[in-house]
Amino acid sequence: MNTLFVLHVDRVFAYARHLLGSREDAEEVTSEAFLRAFEKAAAFRGECPLRGWLFGITRNLCMDRLRQPRLLLLEPDEVAQQSDLGAQAAAMEAAAAVRGVLASLDEPQKMVLLLCDVEQWDAREVAAVLGKSVSATKSLLYRARRTMKSRLTEAWADTEPEENLDALW
Amino acid sequence: MRCGEIGMLLHPYLDGELTEDLEAVVSRHLLRCSACAHEAHSLEQTRAMLRSAVEQAEPSDAFVERTSARLRDRLSQHIRPAPRQIVGRQWTLPFTRDDQASGE
Repeated sequence: MNTLFVLHVDRVFAYARHLLGSREDAEEVTSEAFLRAFEKAAAFRGECPLRGWLFGITRNLCMDRLRQPRLLLLEPDEVAQQSDLGAQAAAMEAAAAVRGVLASLDEPQKMVLLLCDVEQWDAREVAAVLGKSVSATKSLLYRARRTMKSRLTEAWADTEPEENLDALW
Repeated sequence: MRCGEIGMLLHPYLDGELTEDLEAVVSRHLLRCSACAHEAHSLEQTRAMLRSAVEQAEPSDAFVERTSARLRDRLSQHIRPAPRQIVGRQWTLPFTRDDQASGE
């Protein structure tokens, strides 16, 4: 059991963190996921890969938590500190825009972007967690990237004069 | 190779998943075609902005240690104590009597 924990705790935590948006919630769900995996270990018959089974438990716990009424706590902005106040303000605004667009995506697109492009997991690992084939996961990723790009462009267009649109990219 | 075909290869190209030959074909096309080069650049920048805006999620060392200890405690509750050690002969023949030793 300890081996299972050591091998998978980082991944399970990252998955829960990105689904729930809160470090505290992710810690509680991660801890509960491993406890439940231990309790259900005797019933596990190898119908699916162990990792997929573990992430299935994690996902169900996350969904249960998201269904509960909760106070939304804003996490501190996680943007690299910059000495120049103007550059810092611009970076924070850009980061807020990116996070806003990310939140507007449907859950499959959001999660595939977070796991593939932010966490940099291998496509096979992401496919196992999402319960999809590798090719379906890559198709979802490419579609999510295009959606992210076009929505960021729209968000930029809403705030910038038209002649500055080319400056975004 | 035409722009439509190049467009389908841009994502694996950016991910470094193309063969050397295909990567060279795409690279040459991007040098000649400003529209495809712009698309590749904008996809790359989108990914860079995403990585700047969202940190990788890592559990703290304290959380890992705390949870590991909790799992060990739970595991120890399910381990039965070892059976009592038996020393010396514990069995007897049912027909052994003291009078048999004297030959009666």
